[in-house]
Amino acid sequence: MTQLLNMKNASQWRYGTSVISILLLCTSLFFIVTKGFNWGLDFTGGVVSEIQVSQQITNSELSPLLEAGLGQKVSVVASDEPGRWVIRYSVPENMNTTAVSIEALLAPLSGEVQVLNTSIVGPQVGQELAEQGGLALLVCMLCIMVYLSIRFEWRLALGSLVALVHDVVFVLGFFALSQMEFNLTVLAAVLAILGYSLNDSIIIADRIRELLRLKPDAATADINNQAIAATFTRTMITSGTTLITVSALWLLGGASLAGFAIAMFIGILAGTWSSIAVGTSLPEVLGLKPEHYQEVALPDTP
Amino acid sequence: MKKRSSRRALNQYSHWQYVVLIATLLLMLLSALPSWYGESPALQLNYPQSSATSEHLVMLDPLALRHALIQQGIELKQIKQDQATTWVVLNDAKQLPLAKQVLQKMSDEQGIPDTQLTLASVANAPYWLTQLGFNPIALGLDLRGGVQFLLDVDMAPVYQSQTEQLKKELGAWLREHNMRGGQFKELSADGFTLLLANESYRTELRDHLNSQYRQWQIIGSGDELRLVRSETEQVALRNLTVQQNLQIMRSRIEELGITEAAVQRQGEHRIRIELPGVQDPAQAKNVIGATASLAFYQVLADDALSGQAILDEQGRPVRVAQVPVLTGEHIVDARASLGEMGMAEVNISLDSQGGRMMADFSRQNIGKPMATAYSEYSRNQQGEVVQSNKIISVATIQSGLGAKFRITGAGSMQDAQSLALLLRAGSLTAPVTIVEERTIGPTLGAENISNGFSALALGLGMTLVFMALWYRRLGWIANIALLANMVMLFGLLALIPGAVLTLPGIAGLVLTVGMAVDTNVLIFERIRDKLKEGNSVARAIDSGFSSATSTIFDANFTTMITAIVLYSLGNGPIQGFALTLGLGLLTSMFTGIFASRAMINWFWGNDTRRSVRI
Repeated sequence: MTQLLNMKNASQWRYGTSVISILLLCTSLFFIVTKGFNWGLDFTGGVVSEIQVSQQITNSELSPLLEAGLGQKVSVVASDEPGRWVIRYSVPENMNTTAVSIEALLAPLSGEVQVLNTSIVGPQVGQELAEQGGLALLVCMLCIMVYLSIRFEWRLALGSLVALVHDVVFVLGFFALSQMEFNLTVLAAVLAILGYSLNDSIIIADRIRELLRLKPDAATADINNQAIAATFTRTMITSGTTLITVSALWLLGGASLAGFAIAMFIGILAGTWSSIAVGTSLPEVLGLKPEHYQEVALPDTP
Repeated sequence: MKKRSSRRALNQYSHWQYVVLIATLLLMLLSALPSWYGESPALQLNYPQSSATSEHLVMLDPLALRHALIQQGIELKQIKQDQATTWVVLNDAKQLPLAKQVLQKMSDEQGIPDTQLTLASVANAPYWLTQLGFNPIALGLDLRGGVQFLLDVDMAPVYQSQTEQLKKELGAWLREHNMRGGQFKELSADGFTLLLANESYRTELRDHLNSQYRQWQIIGSGDELRLVRSETEQVALRNLTVQQNLQIMRSRIEELGITEAAVQRQGEHRIRIELPGVQDPAQAKNVIGATASLAFYQVLADDALSGQAILDEQGRPVRVAQVPVLTGEHIVDARASLGEMGMAEVNISLDSQGGRMMADFSRQNIGKPMATAYSEYSRNQQGEVVQSNKIISVATIQSGLGAKFRITGAGSMQDAQSLALLLRAGSLTAPVTIVEERTIGPTLGAENISNGFSALALGLGMTLVFMALWYRRLGWIANIALLANMVMLFGLLALIPGAVLTLPGIAGLVLTVGMAVDTNVLIFERIRDKLKEGNSVARAIDSGFSSATSTIFDANFTTMITAIVLYSLGNGPIQGFALTLGLGLLTSMFTGIFASRAMINWFWGNDTRRSVRI
């Protein structure tokens, strides 16, 4: 272990992982652009209904009944549990009138039919939610940028910011590649990742700042390595416990939280990785030196 | 001696700090407890006052109730009764509709058919807890099941009709003042252009507009005037219209009999309706989609043979003429204001035809009362159209009424405002459309709760084990702090008014568990560093805490930003997530810094050993 990774070659490790990060970032962007997202009902509008029927009933029995009754193309997909189906179709013309009851349409089937939940979202509302979501993302980014620029020297701030963008793009890239449904809870997860990823970066940046002030003559690369080493246990423990709890959510949280848990899981992994690699290497490349923290030290101290 | 005293001051919390800490935790524990017991679905029976033959209300006998319900295979948890209300508490929410049928039938048979049956939920917590004012956490619809609607209030027709009214009135005014030949162009919902036949008319017209129609802006020069509705008027009109619809929806939802139903404005022109416990959206849709109308009637003597009797809001019959003087479609506008004598009044504007009809009627009936009736057409469960009528005001005609008149005697300013809203309801009600509808069955709600909490339990359990193994004794401090954090979070969620726990909210709780230990980890790592540097335990604790605090604050601040942004921009479930995430940060700082410091001070505060591992 000591031969593979020690204080001397730690910088090479950081540069190497940063290059991997940049490659992953480009791949993610490529998938986002080429494949796009599988937008959920929250953003597109439409009808989604989850039903429970007896376990012997198959898709070929459900689809014809539903399509005949609703007079349109209906998507019927099996859910995680046996006997559960997710039905999707477009919004009826007039939402004020009572929609055709799915229970009534499926009455010819043997056994009890139970509608577990139904969501009908008008296209206009979906559009608005998408705009609101984009706005939330933008406002968050802006607030964070303002905060970082006040709290840190610009090179350090930019490092954290790039690490942040990296994490978000990586999660988005995964959702584009896997074509998993991107809904409101996934968006909430992306925003939570914004906060979380920064958490790691800031704690390392705090240490870098502290060491830069303490050791005005040291090389920045060494200081970065020392800061990472000093915070490494903490980074691993916190990422570890958060990953544990998110996995618990993934395992037991049910279908409605699966997207959220997966997004968080990837986000935390990427966040830990990027705050160590890109977050520290970029300020170095941009020429961060101990003297940058010698004069500005005064106003920063509380 | 001197050295000793400085050490004592190092890690010392005063007694009051311990008192504050323990008191806060106890309060939060009490507040969190009712949520542990949960809630049960219940039916609430309110007996009508009018059925009282003596001083006591006629109430259903609890034993008979119990017998009848058990016969239908309904699992009862409890029947509670006080002076005026009975609560029938069930085990399973799915049996609510059946129980409601049984109870309705029973009260019909007992001769009290007007008994109000409402869906409610009753806390399972012991009596003393609820008596102290502690209630369980409010659950979102995704956890308890129910129906939610988002309504869109379409403002375009309201603007359109107001603009057309102005056009009509101006045309009439121009004719009256011999300024013929004016042309209206570019008519849109927001305004129109008036091309005058002669430029000299402009000044007079302008004065007229400025005195009578302040809410319109005049643009343009020469013989061309462009009239545009002012920004403030646009907002005022929208607020009024949405308020009016909110009020109408509230009174309609009241009839559905759901104690915890919520009707709220969302954004500029949306209304969110949440009906917990409702399993079939069809009936709610019929009620929401009802159309309202309004009519003015001549009031007849109580003993008159002709006419019809309509009940007023106090349930007293008012005898009015068979045919209304005027119906609501002639009302253009109605607004409440304070009159000359400081009395609240409602100013009503009618269109020209309505104005003529009202003038003819009132001239012949000065000094006589006139009643305003509000009626609603809705569909019942069988799909039949039902009409309901109500007299909302009776006023005396003071003088001949024209197209613009006042109603006084409506009561307080608030009463006048709600009357104005109702009056407008009869006229240019904006069409309301359902743009979002979500139904969550009780099965899925219960499943979401059990999924969410088992994930929370697993996550919490694994974190506790990990911390205990990794940090050993300090780990137990962190674990106690983490448990205290959970207690505080649940306590706060129950305590904060309007706080709702949703499924993403539970996800936020789970995430908080993982992130909350960070505070302790940061402190412990610093303490270990200081110990390695050769400090005494007490000194290491002191400098460990002080150097970690600013980092903890820095790190939590950004997550707080995202929580706040999410809360202010999100809705429903997402707000629940933002809430638990944000609150979780606050409580984790409290327990991670304050509570664990108190514990560590207690155990190691005066420990002067060096080079030990703790």
